[in-house]
Amino acid sequence: MMWKSVFYKEWLKIRWFWLGYTTMAIFVILYLFLTVKHSFAFTGGKNTWNNILFLGNQFFSPLKFVPLAGGLAVALAQYFPETVNKRIKLTLHLPIKDNKVLLLMHSFGGACLMISYILTCGLFAGFGLVYFPVQIVTSCMISIFPWFLAGLTGYFLIALIVLEPNWKFRIYYSLIGGFFLSIYLKSPVLAGYSHANSGLFILTALVSVVFLFSAYRFKKGEV
Amino acid sequence: MNNVIECNDLTHFYGEKLVFENLNFQVKEGSILGLLGKNGTGKTTAFNILNGFLQPRGGKCFIFGEDTQHLSPKTKARIGFLIEGHIQYSFMNIHQIEKFYSGFYPNWKPAAYWELISKLNVSPGQKISTMSCGQRSQVALGLILAQDPDLLILDDFSMGLDPGYRRLFIDYLREYAKAENKTIFTTSHIIQDMERLIDDLLIIDFNRVLVQSSVNEFLGNFRRYDFVLENEEADLKRKHFILNIERVKNKVELYTYSTESDVKKYLTDNKILFSNFRQVNMGLEDAFIGLTGKY
Amino acid sequence: MEKISRYILVFVGIITLAIILPEFYWMTFKKPIRIPFVLYSCVDNEFMIQRISEKKWIDTKGKEYSREEYEEKLPLMFSKQLLASGTMPDSINGVALDMRAISREKSFFRLKASDIDAPVPDLYPLFESRSGRAQLELPEDFFRITWRIDFIDAQTNKILEEKSQMFSAALFQKGFLFPAKKISGLPTPRKSCDEGYLIVDSKDQLFHLKMIKGKPFVKKIDLPEGLKFRQISCVDFKNKDFYAYLISDKNEIYIIKQDTYQLIKWPVDGYNSAKSELKIFGDFFNYTVIIEADDHLKAIALDKQYNIAGSYTEKWPVQEQLWEGRIFASIFPAQLSMTSDKSKFIRFYFSRTKGYTWIILNLLLAAFHFILLKRRKTRLKNHLADMGIVAICGIFGFIAIHFFQNKFFD
Repeated sequence: MMWKSVFYKEWLKIRWFWLGYTTMAIFVILYLFLTVKHSFAFTGGKNTWNNILFLGNQFFSPLKFVPLAGGLAVALAQYFPETVNKRIKLTLHLPIKDNKVLLLMHSFGGACLMISYILTCGLFAGFGLVYFPVQIVTSCMISIFPWFLAGLTGYFLIALIVLEPNWKFRIYYSLIGGFFLSIYLKSPVLAGYSHANSGLFILTALVSVVFLFSAYRFKKGEV
Repeated sequence: MNNVIECNDLTHFYGEKLVFENLNFQVKEGSILGLLGKNGTGKTTAFNILNGFLQPRGGKCFIFGEDTQHLSPKTKARIGFLIEGHIQYSFMNIHQIEKFYSGFYPNWKPAAYWELISKLNVSPGQKISTMSCGQRSQVALGLILAQDPDLLILDDFSMGLDPGYRRLFIDYLREYAKAENKTIFTTSHIIQDMERLIDDLLIIDFNRVLVQSSVNEFLGNFRRYDFVLENEEADLKRKHFILNIERVKNKVELYTYSTESDVKKYLTDNKILFSNFRQVNMGLEDAFIGLTGKY
Repeated sequence: MEKISRYILVFVGIITLAIILPEFYWMTFKKPIRIPFVLYSCVDNEFMIQRISEKKWIDTKGKEYSREEYEEKLPLMFSKQLLASGTMPDSINGVALDMRAISREKSFFRLKASDIDAPVPDLYPLFESRSGRAQLELPEDFFRITWRIDFIDAQTNKILEEKSQMFSAALFQKGFLFPAKKISGLPTPRKSCDEGYLIVDSKDQLFHLKMIKGKPFVKKIDLPEGLKFRQISCVDFKNKDFYAYLISDKNEIYIIKQDTYQLIKWPVDGYNSAKSELKIFGDFFNYTVIIEADDHLKAIALDKQYNIAGSYTEKWPVQEQLWEGRIFASIFPAQLSMTSDKSKFIRFYFSRTKGYTWIILNLLLAAFHFILLKRRKTRLKNHLADMGIVAICGIFGFIAIHFFQNKFFD
């Protein structure tokens, strides 16, 4: 049951960051709906709905960079300790195939993030349905979905950048990665991402394995 | 007896700078081999290649018959590995780290680990990052012993340790290796430590192997002769049998594999007058410096 | 697996570079293309053109006018100015001018391509059409049409069952087939009065829905066989002539007359709703339809019987034909963008560069890469895919394969 040990190590590294991020994300959701509640009380439900439907109000916009912050935090918590003194050598020396152990580590971090994201989205939808009909909640979910994809993509890219042994290439990866992430973080009208979400999902899925490239370069002694 | 480690025609460069070329060496099963060389001769490079963390420009290394660049998990389980500086996952404490590693090795022997750790004066929840160098080395050693590997590769086991810890390491390692016919491949910058531990040695210099033999054989054959020159300006031509000469005014230290009579014959043949000729016994460190020269 | 990872990275790199490099290029070099402002003059039965950047006012024959002369040609547009300068005529074409009538007939309508290709809300406020109040008020509930029409109270988020059932029944009785495909109206209290919504059902039938004194008003509007609409834009014009402009999926422009629901097709052709902007100026004598595309403008003047009174077309060179565009075409094989000025949706908008001058740079870069590989004495066999990538993707591929090094040991 080697995967248990791998997950154990990863959990020890990320647990406080993950817990901290998840708590913060929950607070952000609570804050968002506090503003909604306030809007209902002070301007009325009809004006709140009207502002969202026809006047471009996106009450959930404070959430935009939150999933990305989570992705960055978990990735740094997980991979940075592996690069200090090249500690990842310890993991690569374990009696398990290199790519298998790396993928286990990566899946664990990714899964923890996804659990956080699903929790956040679930809360959002739950509170949303209290105040709004399903059509408005769906449009909001379409709008926030790419931000969560950005969080996962950010996690995958930070792993790639942190594991790369050569500074010059770290900069290249960061440049490409930064601009690539901006695709997920545009500010269109409500539900503007309707036609892009599936394509972005596929891209994120593809990016999930790219960290193996820099791990390989590290293993082969690239400097 | 099999070769546990075998390196053939190993060649590596750092950029354009040659580290070593066509390096060949073997480590037999059950031997404790020390790798000695000055800084920059490629010791860490050799270790990185052995552990699969560096692809050599040329040549191959084999451990238990497998190419070190593609070690199977089964073989990796038989290799115990100490990184220079006793590097470990220092965000864990002594319980967590044992729990972590035990999950990978079916033959994990927790008693071996805890026996060492009980000697440590640390609190149960103390993170390894807050321990001293010596305490960390004990943890590293305990983990290796608990893994019970057939081959131990130790990159500078003395790094950062005070004499007490270094002695502890050596005693444990030697006892462990001899009791169970384990193989050890190691290096240390403190040669007296090596002398206590190793049976065989491999001395490398820039680009080549200088010595590959047992310690006893080396110390038996490599000699130092001291004498005083009558004529301070006498020119001691470099002959092939003279591996090294240290000279202060007219006091000479001569290092060679040759016998006393051969050296004396050379001096008389060249009409070099000398006195107080005597052979000086050397420990391994003296012999190493004699062979490779002072900086 | 590492090789696959590298190719994924190269792919991501190419996508990213295909977005940002052309964007930076245009940010640096793009010049605005000033579209002339064209209006129909009822005085001369001629089109008057204003070239804003050149501060020129001309007619279609090229004759130049001063600003004042230009404005006098367009008295209905510039009535305020002419009144102030005392040059407002008493009559035009024998018809006496009544300021109130002029004001009543004045209208402006604008439809961008991005207004059509955009997300639409699913909920709308149904105003009380005859509230008796001077100002319209936003209702307390919003409706949606799924398998029936639901009115949901916004404050409580609960369905108003009675009202929903009443309106659902009314729609059902008129032959409405749920759900709705399109709901068009003016969902704002800032209009002179409420004329409800024009709704397309699941079988492309058109209905008019209003609420009068709390009760449903539903009218089925007869459409010719097979007529489908791409866009229905309701209007609130003072003359109360028609309810909406409708654009069919064949890009024909229709109007629906108020009260009679007569559907009239305007004799306007050359309009591509997906690529052009539509502007319609209404005044006492004419409707002027202006179609603005990327490379041309078409103006069609209609009289009040919707017959063509005149038309004018003007072309201009597009970005691709200017020197910035030509240089772009020799550097970049394509451009990717997440946004488009023709849509409000985020998509991967891909446009291949017209022409083939970029192939020269592609081949040069491939050759350069080949030389680099030779100098490094690498085995070319491992780099064939990279060469192919540079040959096809040009500068994007070249940068990507260098950012993600092809260095594999085995």
